[in-house]
Amino acid sequence: MIGWIRSLGASATSFVEGLGQLTVFGGEITASLVKPPSRFGFFLRALYDAGVLSVALIALSGFTVGMVLGLQLYTTLSRFGAEEGLGAVVGLSLVRELGPVVCGLLVTGRAGSAVTAEIGSMKATEQLDGLRMMAINPIHFVAMPRALALTVAMPLLNALFIVFAIAGAFVIGVSNQGLDGGVYISGLESAVRFADDVGQSLLKSLVFGMLLGLVATYKGYSCSPDAAGVARATTSTVVTASVAILLSDYIITALWGV
Amino acid sequence: MQLAFGHRPVYDGLECHMRKGEIHLLLGGSGTGKSTLLRMIGGLQRPDSGIVRVAGHELAGLRERDLGEIRKGIGMLFQNGALLDSMTVLENVGLPLREHTKQSRVEIEERVSSVLSAVGLDDVESLLPRELSGGMLRRVAFARAIVMEPEILLCDEPFSGLDPLNVTRIEDLLVRLNKELGLTVVVTSHHMASSLRMADQMILMRDRICVSGTPEELAGGDDKGVIEFLGEDGRSFLARLHEIRDRGDVGDGSSAGDLR
Repeated sequence: MIGWIRSLGASATSFVEGLGQLTVFGGEITASLVKPPSRFGFFLRALYDAGVLSVALIALSGFTVGMVLGLQLYTTLSRFGAEEGLGAVVGLSLVRELGPVVCGLLVTGRAGSAVTAEIGSMKATEQLDGLRMMAINPIHFVAMPRALALTVAMPLLNALFIVFAIAGAFVIGVSNQGLDGGVYISGLESAVRFADDVGQSLLKSLVFGMLLGLVATYKGYSCSPDAAGVARATTSTVVTASVAILLSDYIITALWGV
Repeated sequence: MQLAFGHRPVYDGLECHMRKGEIHLLLGGSGTGKSTLLRMIGGLQRPDSGIVRVAGHELAGLRERDLGEIRKGIGMLFQNGALLDSMTVLENVGLPLREHTKQSRVEIEERVSSVLSAVGLDDVESLLPRELSGGMLRRVAFARAIVMEPEILLCDEPFSGLDPLNVTRIEDLLVRLNKELGLTVVVTSHHMASSLRMADQMILMRDRICVSGTPEELAGGDDKGVIEFLGEDGRSFLARLHEIRDRGDVGDGSSAGDLR
C-alpha cells in the first residue's frame, strides 16, 4: 500500500515538474519570438514542411469525412423529411467541431510527430549542443520557427479541411442522393454565422496549433538523446497533443457558450 | 570536481589545470570521461560539485546567455561532427560568422572557402552533410570550429576516420594555429603518434581522476597507470619525442593551407 502511494506521489510530482518545464519552455519560445534575428527563412521552411506537405492529406481526409457526413446525415434527415437541412447541419458540425478537431488530430500525426522526430534526432546527434557551442540559442534557432509554423499552419489547414468536407458532402447529397444544390448551399449560408461559428473554428484551430507547436518542440527538445528516446518522444507528442486538443476543444466550446 | 551519471561516478576529486596557449592531449580508456571533460570546458555539462573555470570565468553559476558570450571564444569539434544536416557546407561553416559578425555574404563565402581549403576541401560548399564521406564531414566540422578564430579549441577525436595525409594536415594546422594565434587546444584522441607529437601537456584520465605533465615527464615518470596505458611502445616513442620534434618531421605547420 505504501509502495503504491509512493509511486502515485512520484508520478504526480513528475507530472507537475513536466508541466512546469513545459511552461518555462513555452515562455522561452514566446520571448524568442521578438528577439532578433527573426528567423523568417527557417519559419517559411517549417511552414512548408508542416503546411504545404500536409495539404494532400488534409484535402483527401476532408473530402472523405464530408462524403461520410453527407451520406449519414442525408439518410437520417430524410427519415424526418428534413433532408433540406443537410447543408446547415454539415456546415455547423464541420465549422464548429469536426473541422478543427479532426484537422488538429491529423496535423498532430502528420506534422507534429515529424517536428519532434527532427528535433529529437538533432539532439541525439549533438546538433543542438553544436549550436550552443556557437553561442546560438537552439530554442530561438530550432524550436521557435517550428512552433510558430505549426500555429500558423493549423487555421489554414482547418479552413482547407472544412472546404473539402463541404464539397464532399455536396457531392454525396446533391449528385448522389438528388438533393437540390441551391437548397444545400443556401442552408449552409443561412446557418453558419461568421463571427460566431467561423470565429470559434479559427480560435480553436489557433489554440490547437499553439498547443501542438509547444508539445512537439518540447518533446523533441527534452527527449533522451538516443534512438529509443526519440521514438518515445514522438509517440508521446501524438498522445499528449491529441489529449490536449480534445480537452481544450471542450473548454473553448464551454467558454464560448455553444 | 565530482560528477556522476546516475549511480556511476565519472569524476571523484578530479583536479586538472590547462595553460593558455598550449596544446593539451587528453588520454584514457573508453568511459574515463574525456569527452565529458571537453563538454564541461564548453559549459555543456555542469559538475555535481566543484569548479570549472575557463578564461577566468567560473562557469557553474552562469546562465545560458552569459555562457554564450564565453562560447564565442571557444570552438568545439564534436565526435560525430554535429553539423546541421539541413544546411549545406557553406551554411554550416559560415553560420557562426553570419550570427556573430557583420560580414557581408561575399566576405563570409571567401572566409569559408579559405578555411575549407586549409583543411583540404575544395568545391564542397554546396553539398549537404549527408553527401560527404566520414573524413570530409570531420574536416568540415573542424573548419566550422576554427572559422571564428577562437581562443580555445576543443577537439573530440579530430583524427578519427581521416587518412594519413589528412591526419598530418589537421595536425599541422592545429600546431600552426597554436603557434601563430596562441590558440589553446584540448584534444582527445586515440591517434597516439600524432597527438603525442604535437602535445605540450598530456592529461591521462583514469580511476575518476587524472595525471598530467609534459609527454617527457609522463614517459620518464613511474606512475603505474601511465605505464600501463602507454605500454612499452608508447613510452619508447615518448622517449624519442625530442629527437622526432627536432628533426621537424611533423608539427611545424608547414603543410597546412593558408588560413588568411
